[in-house]
Amino acid sequence: MPAISRRRLLLGSAGAWALTACSRRAAAELPRVSITLAPSYTQDLYGSLRRILSEHKLEVRGRRVVLKPNLVEYDPAAPINTNPLLVHAALEAFSALGAAEVRIAEGPGHRRGTLELAEAAGYFRTIPGFERMFTDLNLDDTSLVRLRRPASRLESLYLPHTVLGADLVVSIPKMKTHHWVAATLGMKNLFGVVPGGIYGWPKNVLHWAGIDGCIADLHRVFPRVFTIVDGIVGMEGNGPIQGRPKAAGVIVAGRDMVAVDATCCRIMGIDPEMVGYLKLEETQGQTRAEGVRQIGEALGRVRTDFELLPAFSGFRLRRA
Amino acid sequence: MQLDLPGIVPSLRNAQNQDGGWGYRGGASWTEPTACVLLALAAAGERGENYQRGLAWLEKGQLADGGWAPNRSVDRSTWVTAMVVLVLADQTGTAELPGAYGWLLKQSGRESGYLQRFRDWLLGVNQELDVSYRGWPWYPGTASWVTPTALSILALEKGGRPDSRRRERIESGREFLLSRMCSDGGWNHGATRAWGYSSDSYPETTGQALLALAGFQERRLEKSLRCAEGHLKTCRSAEGRSWLEMALLAHGRSPSSFPKDGLTLYSTMDRALIVVAEAAMRGKNVFQG
Repeated sequence: MPAISRRRLLLGSAGAWALTACSRRAAAELPRVSITLAPSYTQDLYGSLRRILSEHKLEVRGRRVVLKPNLVEYDPAAPINTNPLLVHAALEAFSALGAAEVRIAEGPGHRRGTLELAEAAGYFRTIPGFERMFTDLNLDDTSLVRLRRPASRLESLYLPHTVLGADLVVSIPKMKTHHWVAATLGMKNLFGVVPGGIYGWPKNVLHWAGIDGCIADLHRVFPRVFTIVDGIVGMEGNGPIQGRPKAAGVIVAGRDMVAVDATCCRIMGIDPEMVGYLKLEETQGQTRAEGVRQIGEALGRVRTDFELLPAFSGFRLRRA
Repeated sequence: MQLDLPGIVPSLRNAQNQDGGWGYRGGASWTEPTACVLLALAAAGERGENYQRGLAWLEKGQLADGGWAPNRSVDRSTWVTAMVVLVLADQTGTAELPGAYGWLLKQSGRESGYLQRFRDWLLGVNQELDVSYRGWPWYPGTASWVTPTALSILALEKGGRPDSRRRERIESGREFLLSRMCSDGGWNHGATRAWGYSSDSYPETTGQALLALAGFQERRLEKSLRCAEGHLKTCRSAEGRSWLEMALLAHGRSPSSFPKDGLTLYSTMDRALIVVAEAAMRGKNVFQG
């Protein structure tokens, strides 16, 4: 757990701002979201990730990057967690781009043994030196962050220094249905930055304050997160833990989290306009297909309807 | 770090911070690992300088409401208060203890409050879980969960015969735990069912719940003990194995036949709990006084 100074926090914030300055200048442009075919977890992912980062023109030379995968529980039969091969491919790609430091960080919401979970999920055997480069966000040092215009009932949150001090946070979620909010993708993955060491396992304050609103609040604290969604094999039905594997065969990526998550919803056959947290956070019509500049594979070719729980049957996206 | 039982206590001593506390994996001092290491040192019969410095750090952390925050940068009392009580209950004439008991007795899960239950009834909220029993939350104002409830029960039971208020909360807390038992007989974090789906149990929470239910007469616990023995055969986590061993011992079972090879100790908590569980195997369980 690295110590962090106020100066480091300010530098981190300034770096994050600078990293996205280009996209600010082009505010009128539609957010770019790439869809890349990836039929399986093979060595091809390493080349794919480099191409994806190149397509999005990320400048990370000399910067401090934090990769945030989704680790929840381990079940050998269920694709609950982000596949470690994709995380390793991202680590290699950001390192190759000249990042000064690339860390992997996560704070699971149910199990306290984060490293045991990572070990079971294959992170130790896939990523050399994993333990050294990993931060358990549940137990990291924290600062209290006031929420300026909260969408939930929260007024503030303790958040970990590793993430607050990063120049670039990269959310690397699994593409899954979710039994409370329909879909868990890049934005919902930010729940993992809320420290269990303070709020517990699960981070129940977020549920009482309103899940959609809390997802929106975390997005407002970290608006410029780059997202890489593991949609190679996702989860349908009673996600995010008890669902069934669903091969979508894609990696979806982009700088605009709302646009990326909305695109993933469309791939999953979920109407993004029905998803509460996306509606709270869309600023330029990203929940509509015409509000996103799609690159890579055409969405219509990769749409793979994920089975939804009956409670979300009304969320099904109509086919054009 | 691979398991090195004789070296664990010295390694805990060496990991102590300048301020007297311990971190989870090095780093700044937190309340939970500090309390857990003090329990481990006490279990190992060590109450020397390291113990006294740690105890002083802990005692200084009490907030005005009687509870403790997870670390010094947090200004709100939480579930870690139960861990501190488990340490303080071993001391004589501790000034902080009455306030700590008072704080614990004031806490309960939000779902069991009359106002919340009335609101849920009005809104027709379909409760899949029994909300009539009063467990403990991780963080004030939220729902009850298995770990904070189990630790609070152990804390209220330790340190002499509980008065009627403590006894009433212990009984309600135990009923809460029974209501959150998974279909396999064990416990997970406390979400037994959602959307009609049953969830499986975890080793560590099964051990914690069973330890808090020691002495409780309930037929269903036989299934829970079999579940705990099953977890112990496959569990690769030091924390999980430690809680399971303590729980089985507390219920009169003998877990000594299960091997400890292949365990990796990742954190201060892992090392401290292994020491506590080893002491329990020798007949001294510091979670039970």
